[in-house]
Amino acid sequence: MVGAGLGVRAGPSLRAGATVGLPRALLFYELYPYWKVLLEGLGLRLAVSGPTTREVVEGGCRHAVDEACLPVKAFYGHVVSLVGKVDALFLPRVVSVRPGTYTCPKLLGLPDMVRHNVRGLPRLVVADFDATRPGRGLAAAGERLARALGAARGTARRLVDRALQALRRYRETLTLTGGVGFEQASRLAVGKDGVAAQGGGPAGPRVAVVGHAYNLFDSGANLGLLRRLAALGCRVITSESLTEAEVQTESVVLPKEIFWSAGRRVLAAVTRFTRERLVEGIVHVVSFGCGPDSMVGEIAEREVRRSSDLPYMVLTMDEHSGEAGLQTRLEAFVDMVRRRGLSSELGGREHGRSRTPWVSYG
Amino acid sequence: MRITFPHMGNLWVGVKAIFEDLGREVVVPPLPSRRSLELGVRHSPEFACFPLKLNIGDFLGALEQGAEVIVMAGGVGPCRFGHYAQVQAQVLRDLGHRVEMVVLEPPRGHLGEVVARLRRLAGWRPLGRILGALRFGWEKLRAADELERAAARARPLETHPGAVDAAYRRALAAVDAAGGIVGTRRASSEGVRAILEATGRGGPAVGRPRLRAGLVGEVYMVVETFANQEVERRLGELGVEVSRSVYISDWARSHVFLDALRLTGRTRATLVRRAAEPYLEHFVGGHGRESVGESVLFQREGYDGVVHVAPFTCMPEIVAASLLPELSRDVRLPVLSLFLDEHTGEAGLQTRLEAFVDLLGRRRRLGEERLGEGRAAAWKSTSVSTSAR
Repeated sequence: MVGAGLGVRAGPSLRAGATVGLPRALLFYELYPYWKVLLEGLGLRLAVSGPTTREVVEGGCRHAVDEACLPVKAFYGHVVSLVGKVDALFLPRVVSVRPGTYTCPKLLGLPDMVRHNVRGLPRLVVADFDATRPGRGLAAAGERLARALGAARGTARRLVDRALQALRRYRETLTLTGGVGFEQASRLAVGKDGVAAQGGGPAGPRVAVVGHAYNLFDSGANLGLLRRLAALGCRVITSESLTEAEVQTESVVLPKEIFWSAGRRVLAAVTRFTRERLVEGIVHVVSFGCGPDSMVGEIAEREVRRSSDLPYMVLTMDEHSGEAGLQTRLEAFVDMVRRRGLSSELGGREHGRSRTPWVSYG
Repeated sequence: MRITFPHMGNLWVGVKAIFEDLGREVVVPPLPSRRSLELGVRHSPEFACFPLKLNIGDFLGALEQGAEVIVMAGGVGPCRFGHYAQVQAQVLRDLGHRVEMVVLEPPRGHLGEVVARLRRLAGWRPLGRILGALRFGWEKLRAADELERAAARARPLETHPGAVDAAYRRALAAVDAAGGIVGTRRASSEGVRAILEATGRGGPAVGRPRLRAGLVGEVYMVVETFANQEVERRLGELGVEVSRSVYISDWARSHVFLDALRLTGRTRATLVRRAAEPYLEHFVGGHGRESVGESVLFQREGYDGVVHVAPFTCMPEIVAASLLPELSRDVRLPVLSLFLDEHTGEAGLQTRLEAFVDLLGRRRRLGEERLGEGRAAAWKSTSVSTSAR
């Protein structure tokens, strides 16, 4: 075991070719290209858990405390699904991806929560990534991890450079696809095949979906939210379409910048979409019991309400959410967005503030 | 400029003393009650954590009484508390209140501006006067803590139900009214004696209760008796002496007095961090790591059990609650996790506490039998984890 003072804990000799499990949950949806390039570059075989299914979530619920949110329970479930199939499990502790921001307290405790609640775990590779501390950010900590797993200094540095490049490509592609092409962006980023930016599509209403990346892209956990909106004829853009620079530009004007990186992005997206009239409706997808979203969502909602009359819907998801309920809510929302569009073409008489629905889904 | 601030246990005794000593006008919000809770819940975000809602209730009560400036603490994450002030400011603004919020938190840029704001709050008094006022407020908080400790010890022993709490309330009023540091200290020691005498068992020589439990968790829920549904009084009436992991003066030292006296707290903080390390290797914001570490320390100090309180959906405490069952098995310490909010029913809470105290009593008896007869009794560790819903 490598000393905890390094912020890295790994088995002493993970031989080349060993299989390392990576749960398809939480920050997987933001950092997958980085992990993939880094770990495979070290000669390890990466085994990503399968898509989120009802069984996966149930497996997670058995090990997590009731109060945990769906994404954390799903994470547990993905860990459980990897047990017995891998030589080691990669559990990054991502404290912060940008100076001055944090992810979420539960992510800070995640490796500890997993190791004390799931039985029969394989060897754990735990590494801390903390951009609030000098020399502990994604790049430096990645290098440290590579060194701990046996890479020479120069190799480690080159590997991290490549991993960061993959992450940049991933973000660029995500921006090109309007923040909906998670699959395409990941494939492109890690160099499998090339995919063109998303085409125009039919001229349906433009709807923004904002929220944590895992809530947007885990179609098992969000019951196919993006697909359903597309099927209803919407042109969807998400908060993941903003570049990091755009997020910063929108954030610095606030009296106090949001200190959760995901929250900062959501608020920036809502502000920008509203101000520039880029969309005709906004859906904020949140997990039941999400701490950051309970605050950021409130600030965002009040911001939209004060500065526009855009339809805005909060979709709260948990392990009890059903497809029928979701579909009904989405249809009603899209109907309303369309009616709004129509009435504004006819002179906008229905554009009164009082017609904006403020609904929350429990 | 009439100043107000949110309630948090007996914090008001100290804050009021500081501002009045500086000649400022202070509006102490009505003590948290059903009414302030309902006001707070009605106007707060549905999924915000419980303390935020109670704060809003306090503010609305104080605004009715003419408060113009709200002073409160802040933070830099990752716990939600660091964004309370912004959300609360928006809630109050959208309700049509014109109120200034002064947030005491580590500044991100203009240190001078923050200092100027503090000096303005203090009425531009000379620094020596301000330090004197802080010293006075500190003394009041310490005095209030002494009274709470005495009441926690006396309650399990009282012969007339309610006598200790009545004595405690009288003593707290005396501490609040006392002038000067010497007067405050006198009111405190007289109050402690009166509380112990109220047990009806002969005052300070009264001895200790049989069962002892530690109270850990999120700081607001630990010290604000209305928010935790008076869990300490309930346990006391069931015969358990309760010690808190944190008292209001401890919190004030690090948060309100901006770490000026940090040295005194550092050794304890290190101890807690080391105790938590086998279970939690990293800070998680708020008091998550403290809840784990303090539980271990309570066990080492021979306590019979630990009650863990947190607001529903509290992120750092969810981490702690995930680790406490394992800790409970390892060190054989019964732990009861309670996630509380405005929906928590009194009867359900009381039943859980009674069951927990039964468990502590049975373990104590079994332990004593085992020691007496030298045979292996069923010394079974039990972990009880339950939520408010």
